Amino acid sequence: MEATQVSNGPQPTGDELLIVEDVKKHFPITRGVIFQKEVASVKAVDGVSFSVKAGETLGIVGESGCGKSTLARCVMRLLDTTDGKITFDGRDVTKLSRPAMRPIRREMTMIFQDPYASLNPRKRVGFIIGEPLEVHGLGSGPEIKKRVQELLEVVGLNPEHYNRFPHEFSGGQRQRIGVARALAVNPKLIVCDEPVSALDVSVQAQILNLLKDLQDDFGLTYIFIAHDLNVVRHISDRVMVMYLGKVAEVASRDVLYREPKHPYTGALLSAVPIANPELGRKREAIVLEGDVPSPVNPPSGCHFHPRCPRFVEGHCDVEDPPLYPFGAGHVAACHYALERWPMDANEMRRARRATAEQEPEQPLRT
Amino acid sequence: MALLEVNDLKTSFRTEDGFVGAVDGVSFSIEKGQTLGIVGESGSGKSVTCLTIMGLNAARNTISSGEALWKGRNLLTMKPKELREIRGNEISMIFQDPMTSLNPVHTIGRQLEEAILLHRDVTKKVARARSLELLKAVGIPRAEQRIDDYPHQFSGGMRQRVMIAMALINDPDLLIADEPTTALDVTTQAQILSLMKRLQEDFGSAIIMITHDLGVVAEIADDVEVMYAANVVEQAEVHDLFNRPQHPYTWGLMGSLPRLEADVDRLTQIPGQPPSLLRPPSGCRFHPRCPYVMEVCKTTFPGLEPARNDPDHLQRCWLDQETKDREAAKLLAATMAEAH
Repeated sequence: MEATQVSNGPQPTGDELLIVEDVKKHFPITRGVIFQKEVASVKAVDGVSFSVKAGETLGIVGESGCGKSTLARCVMRLLDTTDGKITFDGRDVTKLSRPAMRPIRREMTMIFQDPYASLNPRKRVGFIIGEPLEVHGLGSGPEIKKRVQELLEVVGLNPEHYNRFPHEFSGGQRQRIGVARALAVNPKLIVCDEPVSALDVSVQAQILNLLKDLQDDFGLTYIFIAHDLNVVRHISDRVMVMYLGKVAEVASRDVLYREPKHPYTGALLSAVPIANPELGRKREAIVLEGDVPSPVNPPSGCHFHPRCPRFVEGHCDVEDPPLYPFGAGHVAACHYALERWPMDANEMRRARRATAEQEPEQPLRT
Repeated sequence: MALLEVNDLKTSFRTEDGFVGAVDGVSFSIEKGQTLGIVGESGSGKSVTCLTIMGLNAARNTISSGEALWKGRNLLTMKPKELREIRGNEISMIFQDPMTSLNPVHTIGRQLEEAILLHRDVTKKVARARSLELLKAVGIPRAEQRIDDYPHQFSGGMRQRVMIAMALINDPDLLIADEPTTALDVTTQAQILSLMKRLQEDFGSAIIMITHDLGVVAEIADDVEVMYAANVVEQAEVHDLFNRPQHPYTWGLMGSLPRLEADVDRLTQIPGQPPSLLRPPSGCRFHPRCPYVMEVCKTTFPGLEPARNDPDHLQRCWLDQETKDREAAKLLAATMAEAH
């Protein structure tokens, strides 16, 4: 068994901007008022490793509660990790103090999901976008104003709207303000946490195009978190699928969408509605039963086993699957990876039975 | 006779800044067992259309005209008492947010029973049995125990199932679903959509599906209406709409959609924002954002006319047929390029 396993995630090659190694974030659940006793913990992120190369976009997908936002906040050091190591641009930032962290905060910024809640309604747009410049001491008043007007232009807003308040803008325009604020300090990495989920489709396309243009112009690196697989496919170079605080699968975009290896990825892909009645109705979705289990008390072995059509008793519920390699940086945490794609739910089950009978002990590898 | 026939429905709200025409002349009809999809972005009037039909707008500041004939009777002129007998009984509605549309201080069993007891002369015992039956039908595990749980004890997907159970409890002839899967994850959305399809087969209800997601419409609808700024801009059978879209707004919607089945480097974007309904643009309401705008579009409001002489495919656009066919073919070729 030992020989077939790989260590967590791909090996670094040197040009990674961000390396995350075995990061865990557990939120304690306490009882009692004065003597707070930890009775359990929510394992929001439970041993995640990945890396992001400079200039690429890593998409992170997963259902709500899978830990993708918590992971983003750990990477940004908005939350302290319980365990693990985060290396940003060659420096270990996991345990840096607040003052030591401050210059690094210039190099990684964040765009938030809700453009209504993430802008201070009582401040003018000029102040909102210019504040990061002021905090980091990047220029005097008139310089900041000039820079803010440049930024407004870059994100496609009228520089004359410098003195307006957030409520005077529509949802899409507000998200552009959020993008301008994230760009203000010339960051290397921007973490986008569901930046388009709150927007209408036509406006969503505007923001996605803007993000792509900015990446080309400024050589940005993105971590793009979303639950919409279509959006992630459009914008990402590589995609990581998360389930219940763990990595289920990582692969380059084309490989992941064409040849998913993890049954969960397969189920997600088959569940996405296709905007084409002929294609959509021909295909049979793999409908997963039940809900995502609680991260307080996750299932034994593979976290996905209670919902998995390929579940093999005595193996999947006992042994936590490592990330098996499938070539070219493609890894998937499944003992019985999918042999081909597309397949429907019955094929998935049949194939599983055949595999289990042939090689009951050997995890499938290619 | 159609189950529901809506003719020239108009709704406007009185606000401090003047009248907002939220729905401006919507017509459609729906037959038993059919699914009608209404697509549009926020503020296009799709929800208000249904709220008006159900008589759920605040009477104080709403002005409605036109007619909504339910089995031949106009819902808009009905007395509140008559309407109450139909609502939740013959027509029922599923709302977008299952958390805010269930009462947090009552068990779901009690809320389900209430829906039955309001419309049927049965004992509480019968009502409870029926509630349990429906909870099982929508796939709530351990329904016998969970019937006495409160809404907060359910997950989002399960709450939406409870809402569907409640909507179906009196065997409605028409189910209006207002973005029933928008707040849910894809796998849960797939569960709910397949559940709705199956229940429609079992109960034979008609469904009006309001959504902003063209994917959901493509999966579930028979007929589709595309709404923009309080108007219907295109109306067609679902295959016809996706294969031969006839309105620039529909093209924009389809082009701006990132897709699993096709590779596009850059999404087509519709420039600008949807207009304010307080002061809608003159002429065609889409003209300020339309890449094909002509002089006539700026001055004259186009009628809802048959496209390619097909009375089942209506569209509201001044472009000539040749341009439309060419653009529709181009769009289809682009999105199908990588389809497998």
